[in-house]
Order: sequence, then structure tokens, then C-alpha cells
Amino acid sequence: MKLRSYDDMNLQELDVMREIGSIGTSHAATSLSKMLQKEIRISIPQVNILGYEEAVGRIGDMEQIVAATLVKMSGDVDGLMLFLFNLDFANTVLEKMIGESYEGFEAMDELARSALTEIGNIIICSYINAFSQLVNVDIELSVPSATMNMLGAILTVPIAEYGYETDKLMYCNADFVMDGKQLSDWLLMLPDIRSLNDILDKLGVS
Amino acid sequence: MQKELKVGIGDMKLSRGEGRIITYALGSCIGISFYDPAIRLGALLHIMLPARFNASDPNVFKYADSGIHETVRKMAAFGMVKSRTVVKIAGGAKMFEISGNSDFGNIGQRNTASVKKVLLEEGLRISGEDTGASYARTMYIDLATGDVGVRTFGRPERHL
Repeated sequence: MKLRSYDDMNLQELDVMREIGSIGTSHAATSLSKMLQKEIRISIPQVNILGYEEAVGRIGDMEQIVAATLVKMSGDVDGLMLFLFNLDFANTVLEKMIGESYEGFEAMDELARSALTEIGNIIICSYINAFSQLVNVDIELSVPSATMNMLGAILTVPIAEYGYETDKLMYCNADFVMDGKQLSDWLLMLPDIRSLNDILDKLGVS
Repeated sequence: MQKELKVGIGDMKLSRGEGRIITYALGSCIGISFYDPAIRLGALLHIMLPARFNASDPNVFKYADSGIHETVRKMAAFGMVKSRTVVKIAGGAKMFEISGNSDFGNIGQRNTASVKKVLLEEGLRISGEDTGASYARTMYIDLATGDVGVRTFGRPERHL
């Protein structure tokens, strides 16, 4: 195994992950756009490798409440996919889907919660579909699991899961523009280190 | 403005006298507060994983075993007496439930078990606990009184 941590990726390898991330993100945006029947534009996605505290700082703050959908990958690639909504993004989507918007996450009912879980799941699935075709791997996805809670605690889930391997996170982030409103989405793709090596091998960059 | 020390993930702070020590958003991680009321010396430790397997890993506070040992050692150097020290723990939640994969996310439970075992070995008794469930907790200790508070989303604040 060449890479021992996300940190070890060189610029070329990061570029490849960014390119894949950008294809995945545009597929995700297309499904969202179909579902909401709205034109959605995306900015060029970024891929970043960050420590836990930096990642929290980029997205918001520790105690900020966000909604998250988590899906576990298995098969050729083991790891986690995590999609985070802030309140702004959640409300914009919910308004289109169920015609409601909410003052805060605590005010959301079961319908709103399951709508968000499903959107997170669709975004993750379209991302992974694009990804697995491109890299030519079979990835099985678990049923989605969702929560609404403090950002800081949600981001420790992947860190604790891979805490003995790495304490960094890899995330893709692109801004979605819908109705002239800029919305940030946060998608974290977290293959374990063995899978990351496999992916880069398959793509012929390692 | 009251003095407030922040403890990051896999870290520990200790102080004495006044102000408070706080750690934010404990998920599966565990916050462990130590307080010796006689000398008003307090510490807050934020561990992430149950045990340190790699003895050369410099992040001692990341793990329950090495983190607790090191905190106790430091506190003792500042005059802590074990028999009068009050220990409280919070965290160890399971943030996501994946159906059909019950092993996933059990790290919180393993952390809790490990913390309890190590504290027992150290001869320290846990006098307050808020662990498990599926939500995040922010934990603080007030150094003047030894009061430990736990803040959660959508629930009233608890004092352990």
C-alpha cells in the first residue's frame, strides 16, 4: 500500500479525485434538478483534505445544527458517504418538494425529515453511480441513516470509524445555484485507506 | 467575562480556581471531568477511541486508556488526591443507526466501556454520567463549584 493516510496524496492524485468528484457532483445536481424540476447550476467542486477542526470550521461551527444523511459503502470500495444540509439548503429543497419551510430543524415533522433523508440518499446514490462507472468498480450502498444534530458530533463519526488509520477527512464541496440563490452542499466521500489505494491504482495514477 | 478554556477533540485542559472548561459536540467521543473540591482543581478530557495500540503515538489524549492515565498523572502533580476527586462522564452516543449493520457506530459504546474500566483501575469512582442515546452533547465544568453541565439539542440542559 502506497498511501497510509489521506494526507499522503500528491497533487496529481488530488487532481484525479477532484475530477471524479466534479463528475459525481454534476450527476448529483442533475438528479436534484429533475426531482425539483428546477434549473440548478454548480460551481467547480473542490476537494479538500482537512483535519477535523478545520473541516468543522469550513462548514460552520461545532454546535451548529445540521441534517445529515449517511450511507455505508461496501463491495469494491469500503467507506462512508456523508451528506450535510444546512438549514438554508434544507428549506429551499423542502419548499419545492412539500411546500413548507421551517424556522429550525427542531420544528420539522416526520414528513420533512424523511424528505431530507431521501434527498441526501438520492444525491449520494447518483454521485456513487457516476463514480463507480468511471472507476469501474462495484459499490454496494446501505440503506440511508439520518440525523439532525450538532455538526461537530456528526463529523466525528467518520473520524472515530477510521481513527486508527487517519485523522483527516476528505470532502467535496460545490455551490449549487438555484433561483439565483447560492446554496452550499457538503458531501464527504470517505473511502478507507485500502480502498483509496485501490481507486488510485485502477485509475493508473499511483 | 468569565474565563473559559476550550478542549478540542483528543485533548485535555486543567485549571484551578475559577472560570470553566468546556468541550463541544461530543458524539461517540467521551468527555471526562475530574474535580478535586478541596483545592478547586479541575480537568476536562475529550477522548475519541477506546485504547492506544501504538505506544509511539504522541496523541495520548485521543485514547481512553492513555488519556485518563496522563490526566490523573498531571492532576496528581498539581496536588489532586484521588479519594476526594469527583469524576463525571458524558458522551458515547451512537449518531447513526444503519439497519442490518448493527456493528457500525458502536464505537460510542466501546468508548464508554473502556473509560469505565480504566477509571476503575485508577481507583476513581464515577459520580455522574450521561452516556449513550443518539445525540450530541456539549459538556462543561465550573471550576469554582465543580458543577458539570451537559447541553444538548432540543433538550433542557442537565447538571450531572
